[in-house]
Amino acid sequence: MRALLRRSLAVATKEVRHILRDPQSLAFALGMPVLLIFLFGFAVNFDIDRVPLVIVDQEQTAASRRLVESFSAAGTFAIVARRDDPAAIEPLFRTGVAKAALVLPPGFTRRGLRGEEAVAQLLIDGSDNTSAAVALGYASVVALAASQTSATALLGQVEVPLQARVRTFFNPGLRSAVFLVPGLMVLILVMVAVMLTSLTVAREYERGSMEQLFATPVGRVEVILGKLGPYFVLGLLQVLLVLTLGVVIFDVPVRGSLLLLFGTAALFLLGMLTQGLLISVVTRQQMLASQVAALSTFLPALLLSGFIFPVESMPRLLQALAACLPARYFVHALRAILLRGNGLAEIWVDLLAMGLFFAALFVAAVRRFRRTLD
Amino acid sequence: MNTSAPAIELQELTRTFGRFVAVDRVSFTVARGEIFGLLGANGAGKSTTIRMLCGLLAPTAGAAQVAGHDIAREAAAVKRSLGYMSQKFSLYPDLTVAENLAFYAGAYGLGGQLGRARQEEALVAADLVSRRDSLARDLPGGLRQRLALGAALLHHPAILFLDEPTAGVDPLARRTFWSVIRRLSREGTTLVVTTHHLDEAEYCHRVGLMVDGRLVALDTPARLKQDQLPGSLFAVDGATARELAEALAGLPGLLGLSPFGRQVHLRVAGPASDPERLRAWLAARGIAGVTLTRTEPTLEDVFLELVSRKPAGPMTKGPVTNEPGTAGPGGDGPGTAGPGGDGPGGAS
Repeated sequence: MRALLRRSLAVATKEVRHILRDPQSLAFALGMPVLLIFLFGFAVNFDIDRVPLVIVDQEQTAASRRLVESFSAAGTFAIVARRDDPAAIEPLFRTGVAKAALVLPPGFTRRGLRGEEAVAQLLIDGSDNTSAAVALGYASVVALAASQTSATALLGQVEVPLQARVRTFFNPGLRSAVFLVPGLMVLILVMVAVMLTSLTVAREYERGSMEQLFATPVGRVEVILGKLGPYFVLGLLQVLLVLTLGVVIFDVPVRGSLLLLFGTAALFLLGMLTQGLLISVVTRQQMLASQVAALSTFLPALLLSGFIFPVESMPRLLQALAACLPARYFVHALRAILLRGNGLAEIWVDLLAMGLFFAALFVAAVRRFRRTLD
Repeated sequence: MNTSAPAIELQELTRTFGRFVAVDRVSFTVARGEIFGLLGANGAGKSTTIRMLCGLLAPTAGAAQVAGHDIAREAAAVKRSLGYMSQKFSLYPDLTVAENLAFYAGAYGLGGQLGRARQEEALVAADLVSRRDSLARDLPGGLRQRLALGAALLHHPAILFLDEPTAGVDPLARRTFWSVIRRLSREGTTLVVTTHHLDEAEYCHRVGLMVDGRLVALDTPARLKQDQLPGSLFAVDGATARELAEALAGLPGLLGLSPFGRQVHLRVAGPASDPERLRAWLAARGIAGVTLTRTEPTLEDVFLELVSRKPAGPMTKGPVTNEPGTAGPGGDGPGTAGPGGDGPGGAS
């Protein structure tokens, strides 16, 4: 046991020295999280505001102007042009000057006040469907509020029999950063953990040092412990880094237990490190290993983990694929812990799935490792 | 370990890769303190044999004991008693001299006081005390290899395997290296060395010659030359091997003829050993003005002779698994490979 520890420690010490002596990999490990968090936190923003709006007010009454005002007041829309003819809207859409148009036909408020059906038209540029969907949602809320106001004006103080009041839990402002930062943690861990470990083990094969290593009493377990240990610590440092940046810069709440958070991250990291190990014992070449690592981690984590696109709305096949990805469970568990303040009772399924993934890959990697030099 | 027991013992050790037989029923023993050389062309099976003995590769058939431990069943015990220097790699270039030694000390489980003492000892032995903080990649080849040897000896192994230890090392450093190897042998370490520098094999107590996975000869260098190359050896200048082969066909007592660098080595017995007679025979067949120099056979002569003899060599047995070699006398022998050069290329 002591010999095992000593040998693992020897491998780990050597590994730390490799890392410290190669500023590129260290810069990659610590710079990538910072870069990604700024990129996704600031540049990639799914919040919709100041959608350019054209107004075609063919009524031109005080009431119609009030409705127009209520559209521009919320900050979701910004009025960029006013036209008299609805036909003028299309060129503005085509050139990208406007993305939405509000058309109030003549006699619109008058008909409304008479209790007749009053139809206003909201036109939206659907080529950017995320903004379109959000703009549509905001517009309906504004229109509902406006029609209530005019109903009150018409009928005096009335109780609307059915009212829908929307209240968003956990992320009231629906800010994307709050939603994205936990997802980002997945992306960073996946990239750095799998990439770096697959490179370090493949390098030993390429240099021939793996053979030299196996001619000493150092065994497979010690190589695995010594090789993965330093990257495990590095991965946890990254979690801390991303979390700190998320909390300080983007006000990401930490509602659940920090201990559970790090425990979950540790379990996920183990799976990723093992994946990197498996890739390198199979490929045994740094070049190939890095390509397989990039392909098998970055894209799935970006597209299928639920980081950006909700897994629930994916086609069946992709959902099944996502179900095999530990990243999918990690994103879910992280959001649960950070945003909803969930505990073990809510995320044990995620932990179980990640644990199974780790165990399966570990067995495969050790098996493959055994026949390593044959 | 029993002191009289051999350090290494192989019984019909065999390794195949798919249908390729890399090592074919090789048996030999190595005594304690012996320097045992394994010779052969690239691909002859030397490295595969060594890798099996180091527990790096499982044998397909047969068995072997290293330091009294079975290589298949007691790999851990085998690894504790041996040091290994592979031809491809021995040190981490991005670690310093001291860090490399510290790593190997840890890998062999040497900690604390003992570990530090052994590292210091290796530094002194390799004469690298002043360069302990240099990166291994900045050391010249000879020093790097001395450091690698020091690392392989940190745990004072009973047996040291050296796979092409002097590949890419300059002649002076090679000589120093061999003096270290001889000293280790005197101190009781058993050494198994593969090399294709045939002049180095002269330093070995015994030499095993491998051709196409088989051990075709095994003896001391002197006995190998005596037994495998009876008769007298002449180095011939001034005629090609092909010309000589034609002219000498039918000469009574002709034992062998092979290109040797720019010369041709001619081996004859009986009355033909008289250089005057030889010259007369050649002159009568249109070859005049050749110089005949009586020389001592080298291991390269033995090697060429044995390679040319296969597949029906004295120790060969079983079916021939590879295509016939092309390095026979009169064939396209090694053009420039003198002693110390690579083995004949066609024999791999």
